[in-house]
Amino acid sequence: MLHSQTTGVRSWLTSGELWVWMNAAAVGISITAVGGLLALIAVRGLAHFWPADIAEIHHLADGGTPAIAWGEMIETETLDIDQYRSATGDTSGITGDPASVTRWLVKTGNRRLDPPDFQWIYEHRIDHIEYPEAVAVFERMEWGNAYGTLQAVLENGEPVVRGEGVWPEFNTRLARVESLRAEIAEIERGEFNAINYELEQLRLDRRRLDLRKDLDSAELAEAQADIDSREDALQARYEIAEQALRELLDERARDSAEILFSNGAVLHIDLAEIVRAWLPNQMSLWQKLGHYASSVWLFLTEDPREANTEGGIFPAIFGTVLMVLLMSVLVTPLGVIAAVYLREYAKQGPFVRLIRIAVNNLAGVPSIVYGVFGLGFFVYFIGGNLDRLFFEAALPAPTFGTPGLVWASLTLALLTVPVVVVSTEEGLTRIPRSIREGSLALGATKAETLFKVVLPIASPSILTGIILAVARAAGEVAPLMLVGVVKLAPTLPLDGNFPYLHLERKFMHLGFHIYDVGFQSPNVEAARPLVYATALLLVLIIIALNLTAIMLRTRLENRYRGVES
Amino acid sequence: MQAKAELHAMPGRRRWVNSITQYVVALGGGAVIAAIALIFFYLLWVVMPIFGGASIETGKVYELELSPPVYLDVNESDEIGLAFGAGGDVAFWNLAEGDTRATLNLDRSISDIKPVYPRSAAYAVLSSDGELNLFEARYPISFVGDERRIGASLTPIYSDEWIDLGKVRDFDVHLSGSRLSIAHLNGRTLTLDIYRDAEPEFELEIPRSRSIELDKAYDRLLFGPRGQWLYLLTDAGDVAIYEVTRAGSLNPLHQRQLAQEATPLTAVEPLLGRYSLIAADANNRITQWFVVQGEFGLTLEPVRSFELDASAEWLVPEPRRKGFAALDADGQAHLLYTTSRRILTSHPVAAGTGVNAISPRSDLMLITLPDGRIASYHLKNEHPDISLSALWSRVWYEGYPEPVYSWQSSSADNDFEAKFSLTPLLFGTLKAAFYAMLFAVPIAIMGALYTAYFMAPVMRRIVKPGIEIMAALPTVILGFLAGLWLAPLVEANLAAVITILLALPAAIILMSLAWQWVPDRLRAPLDGWYGLLVVPVIILAVISAFSLGPTLEDAFFGGDSRNWFLTVMGLDYDQRNALIVGLAMGLAVIPTIFSIAEDAIYGVPTHLINGSLALGATRWQTLIRVVVLTASPGIFSAVMIGLGRAVGETMIVLMATGNTPVLDLNIFQGMRTFAANIAVELPESEVDSSHYRILFLTALVLFMITFVFNTVAEVVRQRLRSRYGSL
Repeated sequence: MLHSQTTGVRSWLTSGELWVWMNAAAVGISITAVGGLLALIAVRGLAHFWPADIAEIHHLADGGTPAIAWGEMIETETLDIDQYRSATGDTSGITGDPASVTRWLVKTGNRRLDPPDFQWIYEHRIDHIEYPEAVAVFERMEWGNAYGTLQAVLENGEPVVRGEGVWPEFNTRLARVESLRAEIAEIERGEFNAINYELEQLRLDRRRLDLRKDLDSAELAEAQADIDSREDALQARYEIAEQALRELLDERARDSAEILFSNGAVLHIDLAEIVRAWLPNQMSLWQKLGHYASSVWLFLTEDPREANTEGGIFPAIFGTVLMVLLMSVLVTPLGVIAAVYLREYAKQGPFVRLIRIAVNNLAGVPSIVYGVFGLGFFVYFIGGNLDRLFFEAALPAPTFGTPGLVWASLTLALLTVPVVVVSTEEGLTRIPRSIREGSLALGATKAETLFKVVLPIASPSILTGIILAVARAAGEVAPLMLVGVVKLAPTLPLDGNFPYLHLERKFMHLGFHIYDVGFQSPNVEAARPLVYATALLLVLIIIALNLTAIMLRTRLENRYRGVES
Repeated sequence: MQAKAELHAMPGRRRWVNSITQYVVALGGGAVIAAIALIFFYLLWVVMPIFGGASIETGKVYELELSPPVYLDVNESDEIGLAFGAGGDVAFWNLAEGDTRATLNLDRSISDIKPVYPRSAAYAVLSSDGELNLFEARYPISFVGDERRIGASLTPIYSDEWIDLGKVRDFDVHLSGSRLSIAHLNGRTLTLDIYRDAEPEFELEIPRSRSIELDKAYDRLLFGPRGQWLYLLTDAGDVAIYEVTRAGSLNPLHQRQLAQEATPLTAVEPLLGRYSLIAADANNRITQWFVVQGEFGLTLEPVRSFELDASAEWLVPEPRRKGFAALDADGQAHLLYTTSRRILTSHPVAAGTGVNAISPRSDLMLITLPDGRIASYHLKNEHPDISLSALWSRVWYEGYPEPVYSWQSSSADNDFEAKFSLTPLLFGTLKAAFYAMLFAVPIAIMGALYTAYFMAPVMRRIVKPGIEIMAALPTVILGFLAGLWLAPLVEANLAAVITILLALPAAIILMSLAWQWVPDRLRAPLDGWYGLLVVPVIILAVISAFSLGPTLEDAFFGGDSRNWFLTVMGLDYDQRNALIVGLAMGLAVIPTIFSIAEDAIYGVPTHLINGSLALGATRWQTLIRVVVLTASPGIFSAVMIGLGRAVGETMIVLMATGNTPVLDLNIFQGMRTFAANIAVELPESEVDSSHYRILFLTALVLFMITFVFNTVAEVVRQRLRSRYGSL
């Protein structure tokens, strides 16, 4: 491209170079914005799992009394001096006449002992900061983290070890509690869940019997007796499981830990309450990395706790994946057949062009509109009628006449059909006529040409379409809020009870999880790092999917360059 | 020969597979196309009933063995009718069959019956001796086998003991929890009896009673909303409003004349909630009045009126809605609705009719015929509250000082007047889209120009897909960042954000100027990399703006920019506002516009560009005069598609605004858009209610807006493609 060789202000003004730079700046702004956002999510999301050192802050509390706080120093903030004065009413301790003061946000945990779990500590009131090695973090099932030193390990309230060697003992006992916890979860989720499910089925069977008119009294009595006996068997099973559970719970409640807190309080905390404990100030970099990895693993595999603000996001990942899989199963044949019809079978003309425009437009229809359609048509109309026809026994409680997995998948399948159609059509267009004609000339029928020649060649673009559809569906939230997503699903849609895949159940979703925890949770401040982590995961999934699609497409383009020429 | 033999061996199977495939493909293709049509038609099908009219159909005529009826009612499920005769005889009858279900006698001749406000199926019965008692109708449902049976009984709410009110001109009863208020008029004396601990099925204790002397003799008495005031009416149309205090004393609030131009009134009734009175006059006019809080305290104002062909003799309010029926002197029944100001339908009934009632579900009307028989009429009137003007114009809602645009679809009260003005929502949708486009269009188009025309091919190969991936970024993440990170950040650094607007262009100008003095040797290889070179400049500009922000805030905004905007500019500041939405949604729209515009610019035939350059135009001149001009339809279509996306975006708006449906262009205030409104309200909306259908209507509007935008864009783009082809 030509380039003016002159320099100077005058030529700069006339050449329009400024406007070139302005245009370049637009690209720069886009790049900076995207890069910045991704970096922000990554930094905040990843920092969440790092075992930060625990500072022992010697400072003056609000009344001017010396105090010690143990906690993670999260961030600093500068505060206008007037704001500071009006907030604290305090003037002492400030030397000179500064325009502003700095304060630290410290996560002091111990929400049960002295809430809230975040404190502001003013820098000028801090005497000194130490990092004592003995201070540990105890991640608890409830009430968030506790920061303290482990004094002793107790069994049935009697100290077993005190002082030296307390940590090894604590760790072995915590491991025992952990395996007990796994056993308990096994019973609760496996056996109890199964029994409850079967009991519900029996209830429905009974109701179904009531609704039937064609049975005489003998048959009715027989059927009822059968249900009764099955119910008794279940009750017996329930009692056995309950007994086992009770024993395990007693076992688990055996040990406790004596912990000293920064304010001098000593408390006994049941090991059953503790998820993990670590000593960040003692950890080497490698140990911290190891801890980091295990934190990430727990985040990905655990259930959420404390109204979704702590713990993991496993059900949300599971729900998203399952929904997307179901959607792919639905959308692939639909999209491919529609594309094949438009490109291979339909007579090319204004009508097909019109349809093509319509399909393209459908990709631009707001997703919430699909949600509205899904709720009205799938859930209330189809689902409601299915309930009346096949699930009469459960009425008035709806089975399919309420938002659920299958409706969410169907709605998103409809939403992503244009993506698959467009991508597949693109692939089909690219196949040279000569290839089709060659196949037909060899005596293959149109169908054989389609299955043996055309579709295999177009398969990468079909795959590209599916991947793009999956990426779109994984990030879509608005329609799901109407057709099936919930903040907390008690059971996964896939479990050990026949028919294993429960299409009517509601499910959790990563995108909705972000919305829900970030905007509807009672403790947004504490939950925020978790939201960043969830957002990071979602972004990574979607970028990975898109990159795969782009790479596939590029490879495809290169491959056909040979065929076309 | 081998192949031929095989071909002959299974021609049936092959032909069969071939034709099956053809059918399946055609069917599948058709199904997808049908699905597209289905979305549109289903939405339309749900929406249509709100534009459907109402109808009245003549039902049965019932002959009951009853003295002339003084009061009629229908039970909740439209199965049983209830009639009180003047002789004290009461009949329940089956509305489907017409047979009498139960009769009883109150052993007194009845002079008047009022509903116990605000209860349903509760009646205050006044005997001709001036004795009052309260009754309740019960309709227990039982099952015998699978057969559903409904019973009917009338029992005193408290006891068989009648209360002696003495001589009574008119009375009304209000019951709220255990507080029972009975107001009655006798000449110029108004008495209010309050029973504080009225326990059902127990005898009433001695009331606290208070009487006042009025300025004149009134003829009618009505409790106002929640029993907080009393309406007093004369037959001539004088109305007085008295406040009822908690303690039970009565204070005059307001006086007014309901009859306009001295036209005598023919009927006055309260509407549901009793905020409004509807008054019919001899001039064939029906006027709705309600109390408005004005400059001079409470005043009763005429709000809207309806013209009929004859004067209305009876007004029959609907028990659950702000609508009513009017029976006129010509024997016509009309259905009217106040909020939407609609006369929905008319139907002839007998002239000279007597007492009447509308069922709780508003689908059945009973009218006493002149000969004492009772006629039923089926009303089909699903959505009287919606009209074009109710959706789009200013509407004067109950309790408001003036007509307003308002969206407020539900409330905790049953007597709430739903406000379904789509104007604030449309405004919010356009406002959000406008600010988003304001941010996105320049950046996306300028970025596209640079990428397609100036950028080094190596960089373009990375930037293009990079920005396309940005399009796939879930909007929930953008919304979350906008709401929880950007909004507080901008709020705390408003001055810095405004500084960026100035610092950024300044920095770019400086950079461009400085670049002139960079030696050509260095300049040439970096020619296509400006996009990357400016990134540090941008970051620097943003950082310096943030560090300069507080200083500038002190210098120009008096140390507090939010306060400055409020006091000097009169702009309120919400943390989650249109600026935040504009930035976040702009970021979501940029890739869409960028990608399509870039394609259009990149596709401009090179011989045009080369020709222009060869004629001595600079590359900037070539870009503006040749490239942009040629590609302008493509750029237009990119903007249209971007606009379509901005209009329908849900999550960002949901998370980055306060979702308040305000009509205010102020960039520092929030809005509520169609899409966010659907997401917030549809899950809680009752299926097939007016609210539900209106939400579907907004979805249909969104569907059509984006469909039109996209179709225009697509047609423009296809034109462009053929034009390039011809070039």
